[in-house]
Amino acid sequence: MNYLLSNRFTENKEVLSIILVILGILIFATVLFFVLGRIYPGDKVRELQQRTKSWWIMATVFILATVLHPAISFVAFALLSFAALRELASISKNVRPEDRRVIIWCYLAIPVQYFLAYMGYFNLFMIFIPVIMFIWIPFVLVVRGFTVEIGKSMSVLPVQLMFTVFSISHLAYLLSLPELSGFNAGGRGLLLFVVFLTEMNDVFQFTWGKLLGKNKIIEKISPNKTWEGFIGGFITTIVVAYFIRFLTPFTAIESLFAGAIIAFGGFIGDVIVSAIKRDIGLKDTGNLIPGHGGILDRIDSLAIAAPSFFYFVYNLYYA
Amino acid sequence: MKWLLMVFYYKLLMRPFLGIFVGVKLVNSENLRQSAPVIIVSNHNSHLDTMSLMAALPVNQLLRTHPVAAADYFGGSWLKRFISRWVLNAILIKRTREAGDLSPTDQLIQFIDKGHSLILFPEGSRGEPEEIQAFQKGIGAILHRRPQVPYIPVFMSGMGRILPKGETLLVPFDAYVVVGKPRNVQHEGVLEIVHEVKQAVLAQRDQYQHINKL
Repeated sequence: MNYLLSNRFTENKEVLSIILVILGILIFATVLFFVLGRIYPGDKVRELQQRTKSWWIMATVFILATVLHPAISFVAFALLSFAALRELASISKNVRPEDRRVIIWCYLAIPVQYFLAYMGYFNLFMIFIPVIMFIWIPFVLVVRGFTVEIGKSMSVLPVQLMFTVFSISHLAYLLSLPELSGFNAGGRGLLLFVVFLTEMNDVFQFTWGKLLGKNKIIEKISPNKTWEGFIGGFITTIVVAYFIRFLTPFTAIESLFAGAIIAFGGFIGDVIVSAIKRDIGLKDTGNLIPGHGGILDRIDSLAIAAPSFFYFVYNLYYA
Repeated sequence: MKWLLMVFYYKLLMRPFLGIFVGVKLVNSENLRQSAPVIIVSNHNSHLDTMSLMAALPVNQLLRTHPVAAADYFGGSWLKRFISRWVLNAILIKRTREAGDLSPTDQLIQFIDKGHSLILFPEGSRGEPEEIQAFQKGIGAILHRRPQVPYIPVFMSGMGRILPKGETLLVPFDAYVVVGKPRNVQHEGVLEIVHEVKQAVLAQRDQYQHINKL
């Protein structure tokens, strides 16, 4: 059993304490919404309960990813990318029926990208999807020989890879970063830092928007997003980043910047997925069939926040 | 023996393969927990349709549930005969009848009277991906003569993209199997029953608006 767990996990006080905080928040939210549901039964509270349920799932996945042996975590992240890419390819109307064989190449890129991350081949990891696959997929499309609207597929397929595989693989690569002397939490700490802050930023933006929201920020894409929610979430996320900077090697100032990058990146990812869904005519992939799908809704913010944060910390401490 | 083989194949191999790798999502599959005889009626786009339904069945119904298939296709080679007998547990129907053969309807009703369930694809053939063709009369003829047997309407979406007719390469996409509640026929005439069953299948699609758009 022990070899399944990552070594030194129990000695890693920073990671352990933040896991307890996450569990505490989740238990608090579950109890709060349960009691609220008893007092004011209704759709709004049920939506909050539903959200709490999906947070439990998210938290379990990521906590296990930090606690278990890195090899298992890499497989888990690769599966997450796979399910997200499959969902995006399935709902996208811009991919032609003739492209189904080319999509196999996109799926095959996933194990390669995660292998590169696992081995820590940083240069190849960085260019594999944005450069190599970016050339390879148009080439395979050309070889297949269906030219009607081929430009659409040439642009859509690499973007889908970027959004679901390239981005999420940066979370995995955090676990491959070398040890820094005097920085105890390590890659696991960084992973928890970025995932926790991204999720909390979603919650903060949602909460501030509900409390104070008046001025729509981008009405045609996301009618629920307001300036008040965005700024409130932004500030709260930065404050939280300051207080949990013990997970990172950051100085106080750097942690504020990291919080800002995550808050802003999370917002961008969120509205990009909203726009894609609006194009297809879906509002929320998760709510249409209860208990199914909706992986994109869960990782949309991470898709931009994760690589942005990664290059921030990489260039400051690991380059 | 055959039961063990089927449980192993559907529950241990196909169920996780379809769920995790391919992306087949079962919606309201508890509606399949109905003891035989029952007729499961679904639209048909891919070989995966039968696989997904069989994998979703309760274990104790596996041996007593038979997909109905064309004898000229599934009786073809020894491999197809082996699969339809040991894996699919299929009833093979001849599309061209010789003198002395039972009519397909009589053949199927024999199984129902023995207390077995059927999986029927009234469109007859898999057809173009993501299109629903006209329903054949067979389902009406059976339910006309055995109106006390409940039927379960099922709508599937996305299967035609994963493994369409004439393709050998399976490509994972999200697909949905929406299972309706078991019910009895309301009409008497054969054609009315066919119409009623088709509407019931389409109603499963309309329940989930976005499936329309896929």
